[in-house]
Amino acid sequence: MVTTPRITPDLSTNVGALRLAFPTLMASGCYGSGEEYAPFVDLARIGGVVLKSVTRFPRLGNDAPRLVPVASGLLNAIGLQNPGIDAYLERDVAKFAERPCAVVGSVAGFSVDDYGYVTERLAARDEIDAIELNISCPNVAHEGETFACDAALAERATRAARQATTKPLIVKLSPNVTDITEIARAVEAAGGDALAVVNTVRGMAIDVERRAPMLGNVTGGLSGAAMRPIALLAVWEVAAAVRLPIVGQGGIETARDALEFLLAGASAVSIGTANFTDPRAPVAICDGLSTYLNEHGYAALRDLVGAANPTFLGTR
Amino acid sequence: MPALLTSPAVHTTVVSERREPASGIVIVGLRAPDLAGAVRPGQFVMVVPPGGERCATALAPYECDGERVSLMIVVVGSRTRELATLAPGSALTVFGPLGNGFDAAALGDDVGLVAGGVGIASLLLLARALREREASVRLYYGARTAAALVGAEAFAALGCAVTLATDDGSCGYRGFVTEPLARKGGEHGALAACGPSPMLRAVGRIAVAGGVPAQLSLEEAFACGVGACWGCAVPLGRESAQAPAFPAPSFGERRDYVHARICTEGPVFWAHELRW
Repeated sequence: MVTTPRITPDLSTNVGALRLAFPTLMASGCYGSGEEYAPFVDLARIGGVVLKSVTRFPRLGNDAPRLVPVASGLLNAIGLQNPGIDAYLERDVAKFAERPCAVVGSVAGFSVDDYGYVTERLAARDEIDAIELNISCPNVAHEGETFACDAALAERATRAARQATTKPLIVKLSPNVTDITEIARAVEAAGGDALAVVNTVRGMAIDVERRAPMLGNVTGGLSGAAMRPIALLAVWEVAAAVRLPIVGQGGIETARDALEFLLAGASAVSIGTANFTDPRAPVAICDGLSTYLNEHGYAALRDLVGAANPTFLGTR
Repeated sequence: MPALLTSPAVHTTVVSERREPASGIVIVGLRAPDLAGAVRPGQFVMVVPPGGERCATALAPYECDGERVSLMIVVVGSRTRELATLAPGSALTVFGPLGNGFDAAALGDDVGLVAGGVGIASLLLLARALREREASVRLYYGARTAAALVGAEAFAALGCAVTLATDDGSCGYRGFVTEPLARKGGEHGALAACGPSPMLRAVGRIAVAGGVPAQLSLEEAFACGVGACWGCAVPLGRESAQAPAFPAPSFGERRDYVHARICTEGPVFWAHELRW
């Protein structure tokens, strides 16, 4: 068979010191630890997996129902179900060494001390390439999202984690704030290496037959296409406020969606809910990015970062 | 429940037939040789929506023979309508098989199968497996109307006794299928059921009260279907062999259960181990 030689565009990117062969991270909480999707997608063709968040102590998670499909999106309120850092380190983390992509640990907490403690223990493991600090979970009864909604607390949580590791530290911001740039600046000042922009948008749904909220937790986080314009604006604004690299996320389903986030100033993107429609989505997105780069004469994806945003402060 | 025997995979299939045995109930046959060889009774597949909108849909293979797998679709919304209108020749991507499936061997040789509505689709392969080893099987099958009772004859053809029930009395017993089951369920060595949650809860109560082991296939709208998102949680007793290994939860959260994933630890659970 004769194949036509063509230049393969360079899709690699850096999120701070975290090097990714592809610009696609799988969003925390949506992809397990990667092995759940391994039968359906070649993990060597994704940038990396952001693991499900782990906390200091085990958490049973919220009562069912935890999911409600809504127009162009999904409401979830899982409630950080996880075995706690002790069992996680003992039982789960060793398996992550086999992943043929980057592995980003996700740390959630309920106090500044939690963030430092769990980050120190998790980041000490060789299987973990970087840490994402989940200061923005909207689905826990108290304090989960507080850290992303208060610049002083965001700064303290970031500083605690920063002092606990030298590995790349990505801090995940909430869209449920008045001014996201204020939080982004606080994270930058505290030594965060990168920002994940953004977590889910708070929302709810009511069952009119039962006359009661649909979710066991009453409120949840909205993901999927419904939140994409909100997330894109957040990336645009954060890219104009700080020099930190950005992982753009929120309803990205196609290469075109990913391009919007890259052009707004994201160095990489996270894919979450789109995997629930089709597990082949992340690979299709990379294929589409390659096609776009070829068609528009770009040799490397990095050349597109922030290209649509005249206020972009970061570096390519 | 036995461990998974075959590896799940993405399957690119072609719609080979479409029939509509009742208004709003459509059976779509797929040419899917690899999948047909891999499915066990009570497992499910995730069907990728052809239009790319919303999450994939979990469906249990209904018939499975040779190179063909069929899916029973009850039209309730836009996702199911899209699948129900696929013409023969259309491509359809599914991934699976997923979930644990029924443990036919553990059901013994006198089994009551309980189906509510489209739950019937999960039970035909199980009935076949049970009849292949000459178990005595009675199907208890309930639906809204006579017209919505689809496929009971396939069970009869396998040699199953059949008890029917309809909400409006247009066929068989008038009322819920769990009412005749409550009278006769205790005569069986074991039960297996699939249907809406209220029916499964009623079957579970009958089984536990009568000391009859029962395998319930739970229904839930999944997001991922593969165990990644933890969205389909059901409380399961910590003593269950299916319960995910989980340390004692922190102070203030102590319970005698853990949350298992319906898609991964299930969808089939022993009734007496559920804490719902």
